[in-house]
Amino acid sequence: MSIPLHIRINENSYNLQVEEDETLISLLRDRLHLTGVKEGCGNGECGACAVIADGQPVRSCIILAAEMEGKSITTIEGLTETDENGNVSLSPIQKSFIEEGAVQCGFCTPGFIIAAEALFMRNSDPGDEAVKEALSGHLCRCTGYKSIFKAIDKTVKNRYKT
Amino acid sequence: MELKTVGKSITKFDAFEKVTGEAVYIADVEFPNVLHIKVVRSSVAHGRIKTVFTEDAYKTEGVRGIITGEKIDFLAGICIYDQPPLAKDRVRYIGEPVAAVVADTIAAAEKAARLVRVDYEELPHVEDPVDAAGEKAPLIHEELGSYFHLPGFNPEPGTNIFHHYHLEKGDTEKGFKNSDVIIERTYTFPHIAHAQIEPHGAIAKWSKGKELHIYSSTQGPFIVRGALSRMFNIPNNLVRVTVPYLGGGFGGKSDLTIEPLTAYAAKFFPGRWLRLILTREEMFFGSLIGRGTHSHIKMGFTRNGKLVAADVKVHLAGGAYGDYSINIVTGTGHNATGPYEIENVNIDSFGVYTNTPLVGACRGYGHPEAHWMTERTMDIAARELKTDPVKLRLKNILKPGSENNLGQIIRKSNGDLEGAIRRAVKEIQLDKREEPDNPRFAAGKSIAALMKSPVMSTNAGSSVIIRANRDGTFHLLASHVDMGQGSVTALSQIAAETLGVPVEKIHHNRGVDTEFTPYEWQTVASSTTWKAGSAVKKAAISVLERFKAIASEVFKTTPDKLTASNERIWYGRNSISFADLAEGYVFPDGHAIAGPVIGTGSIVPQGLTYPDRKTGRGELAAEWTFGCQAAEIELDKKTGRIRVKKFVTVLDAGKIINPVMARGQVEGAVVQGIGAALNETLIYSDKGRVRNSNLTDYKIPTPEDTPDEIVTVFLETPQPGGPFGARPLAEHGIVSVAPAIANALRDATGMDFYDLPLNQDRILKALYGKGEEK
Ligand code: FES
Ligand code: FES
Repeated sequence: MSIPLHIRINENSYNLQVEEDETLISLLRDRLHLTGVKEGCGNGECGACAVIADGQPVRSCIILAAEMEGKSITTIEGLTETDENGNVSLSPIQKSFIEEGAVQCGFCTPGFIIAAEALFMRNSDPGDEAVKEALSGHLCRCTGYKSIFKAIDKTVKNRYKT
Repeated sequence: MELKTVGKSITKFDAFEKVTGEAVYIADVEFPNVLHIKVVRSSVAHGRIKTVFTEDAYKTEGVRGIITGEKIDFLAGICIYDQPPLAKDRVRYIGEPVAAVVADTIAAAEKAARLVRVDYEELPHVEDPVDAAGEKAPLIHEELGSYFHLPGFNPEPGTNIFHHYHLEKGDTEKGFKNSDVIIERTYTFPHIAHAQIEPHGAIAKWSKGKELHIYSSTQGPFIVRGALSRMFNIPNNLVRVTVPYLGGGFGGKSDLTIEPLTAYAAKFFPGRWLRLILTREEMFFGSLIGRGTHSHIKMGFTRNGKLVAADVKVHLAGGAYGDYSINIVTGTGHNATGPYEIENVNIDSFGVYTNTPLVGACRGYGHPEAHWMTERTMDIAARELKTDPVKLRLKNILKPGSENNLGQIIRKSNGDLEGAIRRAVKEIQLDKREEPDNPRFAAGKSIAALMKSPVMSTNAGSSVIIRANRDGTFHLLASHVDMGQGSVTALSQIAAETLGVPVEKIHHNRGVDTEFTPYEWQTVASSTTWKAGSAVKKAAISVLERFKAIASEVFKTTPDKLTASNERIWYGRNSISFADLAEGYVFPDGHAIAGPVIGTGSIVPQGLTYPDRKTGRGELAAEWTFGCQAAEIELDKKTGRIRVKKFVTVLDAGKIINPVMARGQVEGAVVQGIGAALNETLIYSDKGRVRNSNLTDYKIPTPEDTPDEIVTVFLETPQPGGPFGARPLAEHGIVSVAPAIANALRDATGMDFYDLPLNQDRILKALYGKGEEK
C-alpha cells in the first residue's frame, strides 16, 4: 500500500507516494538519485547513510520514508551553496575536511560531515566530548579518525574567531 | 635543486567531489535495463552438491533466470587456477556461491534466492591450518596436481598444501649448536576482515556475445581484464574494465573477487547490465578476508646476544581456494625473521586449503603475520639474555653491508633502521616510567621494529601517458586506483615537478578504464608512488624532450642546446612557451610542424627473479622500507580493556612526496592495526560458519578507540631510482602494531601473549582464570 509523503529535501518540496516498507535511504538514493548518501551496512552500524532530519542526525537506512512526513531533510548534496553565476562554495566543515586530510576513500565522509553539521546546528561551540558523542557510531576504516577530529576542531575554531 | 611541488602537502585532488557527494562509487552507477543478482551461498563448509531445486524460486515474480555452476568448464585464477566462479558439484566453504538468481529488482532476486533449496552430501571439514596440512585431514582439492600455476609456486598434490615456500641460508643445525639461549614459541594471528566501509560491487554486460564491459570496485582492473579474458577466451581488447571511485581496498579488492561470477551470469543475458553489490554481511565471507596464520619460531642466540639461527614454520589458513593468498605465503616467508641479519635460517611457509572464506591480500600482508612472532620473540629473548630489548635489536639489525635471508646485500640507501629505532625509543620516552595513581590500572611501554618489501610479480609493470594541451595544461593518464591513499595527487605532484609547472596545471584521470588508461599491474603493495611515480617521471621527461625537439626546429639548432624552465623552452634568451608547443608549432606564415605532443613512461621493477628452487633465495624483493613502532598503553585490570595512549611510528620511506597524505596513510594503518591487535577476529561456529558477520559483532575501531596521541616521524634517506628519492610507503604503519602493543602489555603485566586479538576476554582469563602464560 502506498502512502502520501510531503517532504522537503535540500530546500526542495516533494509530494510523493512511498511504500510502507520503503526506507529513507532507498527513497533518497534509488528514487531521487541523491547518491551522496552512502550505504555501508544497511543496518544502522556505520553511519555512512546519515542525513539531517529537522536538525537531528538520522541513519537513513533504518528509518522509514513514511516517518518523515512533513520533515525537512538535508543530505550531503544540500551543504554546498551555489551563487547566481553557478559558483559553488563549500561549507566550512567541508573545507576543513579537505584541508586537514580527513578525506581518504571518501565513502564515510558524507556521514561524518553530516554528523558534524548536525552537531553545529545544536551547538555552535562543542567541546571534545560533544564531538566524540556526535561521531559515535560513525565508522571510518581509512583515516584512523585523528584528521577527522582535527577538521572538526578547526571548523569550530574558525567559527569562534569570526 | 629546490623542489616546488614534491614534498608539499597539496590537498587531495579528488577531495572536493568526496565532500560534496558528487563522487560516484560502484553502487551509485546507474544503467537502463539493469538486472540484479542475488547469490545463493553454500550452507555447508564442505560437501557435494546433490541437487539444486529452483522451481519455487522461478515462480517468484520478476525472476529472469537462475544460473548454477553445472556447465562451467574452466577455473579462474591468477597464480593458481583453482576456483570456478560458481560451485560445481562441490562446495568448500560456507558462503561459496552455488547459484546466481537474476531478477528485475533486488527485492525479487532476494526473495527468490531464499526459495532456492540445495541438497548436499556433507563431507568432513577443517578450519585449522595445521590440522588441514596433516595426513588425516579431509582433502579439499583432490585435483590440486592438475591445476595450472605460475612458476615460483609449489603445490603439494595429495595434501591440502597449495604452496610451500622454503627458504634456507647457512646451516641451522650448526647455528643452534652454537647457540647459548634458544627461544621457541608458537603464535597465531586469526582471520580478520578488511571491513572497507564500501561493499564490493560489479556490474557487467556482454555485447555481440564476445565483448565484455564490467564496472567493478577493484584495485586491479588489468588483473581482472586478464583473468576474464582468459576465462572466456576473448581477446584482451574486448574486455573493458571500468573502476569508479573506490571506497577503501586494503587488499580486499585486489586480484579477483566477484568479477568472474558477475561476468559469468551476465553472459546469459546479452545486452543487459547485471548488477551485484554485496551486502555488509556478505563482505565477511563473500569476498576476501585476511591473515590466519599459525607460526612456530625457534631463535638461537649466543650469550652476548648475537642472533645466530632461526627456524620458522608458518601455516596459513588460506581458505577454500588458494589463488589469492599464495603470495602471502611467500611474503611471510621473506619476512619471517624480521629486520635482522641471521647467518643460519630455515623457513617453511605453507599455504593450506581450509574450509573457510578465502584469504587474500590484506594491508601489509605477510609482514604483520611475521612481525607478530619475531618482534614478540625478540622481547622474550632479551629477558632470557638479561639484556635490554633495544640493545638486542640494535645488535642484530640489518645494516649497510648485511646480507638478508634472501641473499640481498643491504645498502645505506635502503634506509636508517638504527635511526628509526632510536627515534621511536625517544618519542615514546621508553626510559620514563609513569605508574598510574589508581592501582586498577597498569601502564606499559615498548617497541617493535619492522621491515617491509612490496611483494609483487617479477613483471609488475606500470605505464602512464601525459598529454600536452594547447593552453599549457596537461592530462596525466594512469591506471592505479586511488582508493583514498592519494595517488592521483602524489603522481600529479611528480608530473608537475618534473615538467616544472604548477600542480594545478595537471589533471589526472579519476577512476580507471582499461579502454583509455594505460597498463598498470595493480594497486597493491604500497608501490604506486614509487613504481607508477617512476613511470610518471619518465613520461614527463619524454614530453620535455618532445618539446625540445620541436623547438630545435624553430630555433634551427639541436635539442641539446635547449633548456626547459618557467613553462618555456629556452634557446639562449629566446623562448617558446609549452602552450605554443603542445600541438606542434605554428610559424608566423601559418605552416605547422610536429603535431600534438604526448609523452609516455613505462617501467618494471628491475632484476626481480623467481626464487631458487632449492634455497628459495634470489632477487625477490625490489625494495625494503625499514622502521620502528612504539606503544604506550594502559590496561584496566577490572575490565581487561587496553587503551592505547600513545602510538609512535618512525619510517624511513625516502623522500616524502606529500607529508599530510603520507601521515594519513600511517595513521589509518596504525588504527587498523590496533583493531586487529585488540579486537578483531572472525569467529567460526563448529560447522564452519562465520558467526560475527556484521559491524556490531565484528568490532573495528571507532572514533573513541583512536589513541590519544599518534606520532608519525619520517626519516628521509633518499632512494636512488625512486621518483625524487621516494620509497614504498603506506601499509608500513600496520606491520608491527600488534607486537608493539603486546610487548607493552608484557611490560605492564608481566604476562606474555601469543594469540591475537588481545581482547577483554583473553586478558581477563589471563589475569584471573587459567593464565595464558606458557
Ligand atoms: S548504511 Fe546506514 S548506518 Fe550503515
Ligand atoms: S575515508 Fe575511507 S572509510 Fe573513511
